[in-house]
Amino acid sequence: MTEVAFSSFLVATLSVPVVTLISRRWTKARSLPPILLMGSLAVGIAVAAAGFYGGRKFVVDVSQVASFSFALSVDRLSAFFLLLICSVSLPVILFSSSYIPRHYSGARRHWLWVLLPLFLMSMVVVVTASTTFAFLFGWELMTLFSAGLILIDGDSEQRRHSIFIYLLMMHAGAAAVIGAFLLFLPQASNFAQMRASATLMSPALRTAVFLLAFIGFGTKAGIVPLHLWLPRAHPIAPSPVSALMSGVMLKTAVYGFVRFAFDFLGTGPSWWGYLVLSAGAVSGLLGVLYAISEHDLKRLLAYHSVENIGIIYLGLGAALVFTANHAPLWAALALAAALLHCLNHAIFKSLLFLGAGAISDAAHTLDLEELGGLQKRMPLTGVVFLIACCSIVGLPLFNGFVSEWLTFRSFLAASELTNLSAAIVLPLAAGVLGLIGGLAAACFAKVYGVAFLGRPRSREAEHANEVSLPMQAGMGALATACVVIGVFPGLVLHNLGKLTEELVPGAALPPAATSLSSILPWIALFVGVLVAGIAVFKQTKKLTATWACGLPGLNERMQYTSTAFSKPLRKVFSQVYKADRTVEVVPAGAPYFPVSISYRSVRTTSFEKSLYRPGVNAIVAAAYRLRRLQTGNIQIYLLYIFAALIALLVFMRWV
Amino acid sequence: MGLFETAAAKALASSGVFLFMTVLLIAAAKRISTCIALFSLQSLVLTAQIIAMSRMHHSGEGFVIAAMVLTVKVIAIPYVLYRIVEELKAPRDVSSSTSSSQSVFIAAGLILLSFFAVRPYAGVLGGDQSMLAASVALVLTGGFLMVSRKKALMQVVGLLVLDNGIFLAALTTTFGMPLIIEIGIVFDLLMGVFLMGLFVFRIRDTFDHLDVSKLRRLRG
Amino acid sequence: MTFLMNTVQVLLLILLAPLLRGVIARLKARIQNRRGASVWRPYADLFKLFRKEDLVPASASFVFRLVPIVLFAATLVVAAFIPLLHSSALLGATGDFVLLVYLLALGRFFLMLGAMDGGSSFGGMGASREALVSTLAEAPFLLALMSVAIAARTGSMAGMVQWTLGQNFFQFSAVHALAAVALALVAIAETGRIPVDNPTTHLELTMIHEAMVLEYSGPSLALIEWASAIKLTVVMALLIALFVPWGMASSLSALAIAIAVLVLLLKMAVLVLALALLESSVAKLRMYLVPDFLGVASALAILAVVFTALMR
Repeated sequence: MTEVAFSSFLVATLSVPVVTLISRRWTKARSLPPILLMGSLAVGIAVAAAGFYGGRKFVVDVSQVASFSFALSVDRLSAFFLLLICSVSLPVILFSSSYIPRHYSGARRHWLWVLLPLFLMSMVVVVTASTTFAFLFGWELMTLFSAGLILIDGDSEQRRHSIFIYLLMMHAGAAAVIGAFLLFLPQASNFAQMRASATLMSPALRTAVFLLAFIGFGTKAGIVPLHLWLPRAHPIAPSPVSALMSGVMLKTAVYGFVRFAFDFLGTGPSWWGYLVLSAGAVSGLLGVLYAISEHDLKRLLAYHSVENIGIIYLGLGAALVFTANHAPLWAALALAAALLHCLNHAIFKSLLFLGAGAISDAAHTLDLEELGGLQKRMPLTGVVFLIACCSIVGLPLFNGFVSEWLTFRSFLAASELTNLSAAIVLPLAAGVLGLIGGLAAACFAKVYGVAFLGRPRSREAEHANEVSLPMQAGMGALATACVVIGVFPGLVLHNLGKLTEELVPGAALPPAATSLSSILPWIALFVGVLVAGIAVFKQTKKLTATWACGLPGLNERMQYTSTAFSKPLRKVFSQVYKADRTVEVVPAGAPYFPVSISYRSVRTTSFEKSLYRPGVNAIVAAAYRLRRLQTGNIQIYLLYIFAALIALLVFMRWV
Repeated sequence: MGLFETAAAKALASSGVFLFMTVLLIAAAKRISTCIALFSLQSLVLTAQIIAMSRMHHSGEGFVIAAMVLTVKVIAIPYVLYRIVEELKAPRDVSSSTSSSQSVFIAAGLILLSFFAVRPYAGVLGGDQSMLAASVALVLTGGFLMVSRKKALMQVVGLLVLDNGIFLAALTTTFGMPLIIEIGIVFDLLMGVFLMGLFVFRIRDTFDHLDVSKLRRLRG
Repeated sequence: MTFLMNTVQVLLLILLAPLLRGVIARLKARIQNRRGASVWRPYADLFKLFRKEDLVPASASFVFRLVPIVLFAATLVVAAFIPLLHSSALLGATGDFVLLVYLLALGRFFLMLGAMDGGSSFGGMGASREALVSTLAEAPFLLALMSVAIAARTGSMAGMVQWTLGQNFFQFSAVHALAAVALALVAIAETGRIPVDNPTTHLELTMIHEAMVLEYSGPSLALIEWASAIKLTVVMALLIALFVPWGMASSLSALAIAIAVLVLLLKMAVLVLALALLESSVAKLRMYLVPDFLGVASALAILAVVFTALMR
């Protein structure tokens, strides 16, 4: 039964591009593709829920019909990620059903509705693949389709450069992933075989697989220093596509890494865990520090994705350390924390990007310095954006807090280990997580405060209007999910516990984890009643002008800008930023009253300067030296061929 | 007197933590007078430790040493240093090559390092492990102060802290050095501080500043 | 009966908070050779503010009006976490230290938003400075509480207090001493007292918290001021409960409770005196020196956490 549903989900999603192409002349059928896609996604949600909550496993195996090994199987882990993909994509598509017709017309719109379902399908293939071929097939298609979707928005010189870097880094990551899979051949070509053969591999080989998987999936996930493509690619995509890329595509990389590290490889030495932990810590800190200095909303959100992937990797690293130290209970806790943060981040990050799309729709700019006062002009968008901000900061009663709380609990539990280094490092990682949380709070107070609160800083922001109903509905659905998971985390946690039991042998979610779900609803009830009570009680208010200590002539340009807000933090962490500053003064006659002063501060990412540039230069220099082999003299080329032949003969004779 | 002795033993075992706090605060301090006050506090803790230990070992010599440390290190030397700072009328900040936050974290790292260095001897020392670790931390911090602070007075304070550390190490492992040697060391220190006091004014009058890093101009 | 006791604890914290503020102000005045206002003045201020009109800037959104309520609610919930008179609290068993820290962060986040909604430079300035201080204070806060939680082998507030109660006073461990000093430094930053922030100033150069609430008036301002007083009381109660809880009632008899109340008042008096002395003798730090101040707190908290493992 569920196999049928799953297959019909696949077929329905694949039919959307076909329907789009067929119906492109009929204006009445404009809304058919999104409705069809939403319907198929609803089926997908049902199927995934059956797999995750019901524990049912099902397989769609093409290799029995055709001759190439393409099979999809859904076990609990795949069902969880399938649920993530479908339930986040549904509101995004609802949003796009109104956003895309407003901003794109003609061929570009049709291309969007062709590529979007294909992109979603490639992600579904990745998380449900059970053979190497199927996985890699979906993996490469994911990159291609997303690049295509970015290209739809325009192909200026700079955009092509960013897309090129994106494709380049994704390819490098895919090479590492392919390498990791190749190390399993020729014995294993589907996941069940790989699971079995991994136990027989030598420790050196297992380490090689782990490192390749770490680098390959890390590139796709965006951990530092492999994150360079994220702030280039995500901001230039259309907003719904950014939401899908940032919210969903990054999680497929986490899925791949969890498959490799926990399902295939099982336990490993604890330095694996420390590597992942440090990668997570560095990504988290640097991601949020770079985000604070941004004032383009989408670039800021892209850097925050780096930060949240860092938090997920902190949980994964802790879980690896726990399995290495034979503490499966705590490993389950850490793993559940990381997976829950995947879901939570998917929800609130897509919501944030959709909000950015709404802002660009209403105010035609995404520069924070030009926005302001949007809450009054766009009430619902403001409220859902506020919910998303509270969630990403990790405030209680929203979903981000639950996963961060679980991560803290797992770090606290590490103190019980007998291994001294684990008992010291993991609790200290809690301090890093606390610092990351504090910085995120500062950053999003800035984002919401500058964009939505106060007074509008430009004409565009003054005339912003609330967006259309489908867009509001899409965002509202995601915001509701944030609040529901935040107040009733048990809904997801219980089955996540069962999932971790499957992944980590001997594990069970400790009861400490569920203590939160007993206290949060009460707090929510209390806060809700108090807020409602006081709000009803003190209705009387009088509108005046802003007081500001009685300063006259106050205008909106005197408010704090995004750059000003982040200045104290940027100054304290100036070692990270290393900005190049230029101040130009055009003097006039009097020494203290110049004609104009201009100030320019440019920050190039330190990784680009110190890590990538020298590497690129070294490769180019080596390539130049290798060019000497290409003499253009045909006799030299013949010499190469005969030399290879002679070498082969020698090799065969003496080996 | 059993209660007093058990209380003394317990307080002794936990006194290392006060020394760690003075180490962190002296690294974070921004004014010379704060450093001198912290050094005086450190020596006071040392005096308390000596008194507690001599009670436990019922040794009379220990009280003599305690009295000496009290008069010289807690009262005399800080007083002399204070007077020098007053007379100099120079800016009272500690010119440091590392910022305050960096110094604090370096000091925390030194404390952890001293703990790990002392761990192999944990079995022999038992409860005195934290005191030996504190002594190593004091030596390292004294060295750090001498290396990172540019004022000549801070070099002296760093040396004094270092001497405190060596003294504490001797106290922990062998319950102090012979009485004669102790007296000799303490008076050496006192003489050293007096001489430095004299020289500081000569240096200041000749060069107009006390910045040690500017000594580089003397090379040929 | 326990439930009644716990509710009384929360009410005590809420209702005595302005008195604490008044006592501190009066002590500071006496130390500074002034006469000072009556200790009941904060209550009079609150009554006056509740009767006044609520003025709202025309350009502000609903967030401006929501902020005082959310701040007050969050602080109230935190007040239910702290054991005062006996070693349990209304939410003490399930409420753990992470939830406590993040609930305070919830209040602060909304306060920053409310500041930005005022639409003036002062609000942005206050919010930006508060962002700096609260960001750097969060890590040592969590680490210091975590070190005590590790030593007590439990994360819940009631559990930590019960463990400390079981310890011997003379056996104070390095972990406790380091965590206490770190938490004291963080408490100064969290509650906005000198040397981090001056709660009585309105000079542009020096205010952080006051800048954020500049636009509020009437009942909204009353709620914010009350929440700030409750936060100060709660943080003091936290310090007392975690590090010197001896004297708490172990049984619910009238005598034990009376003794517990007296001991609590005595400890609060000591803390209040220390705070008043500190505020009168130290100058407020320049804003870019606050990171150094919190750096010392962070180093102490890190050491406390590491020592829990080293000194096992």
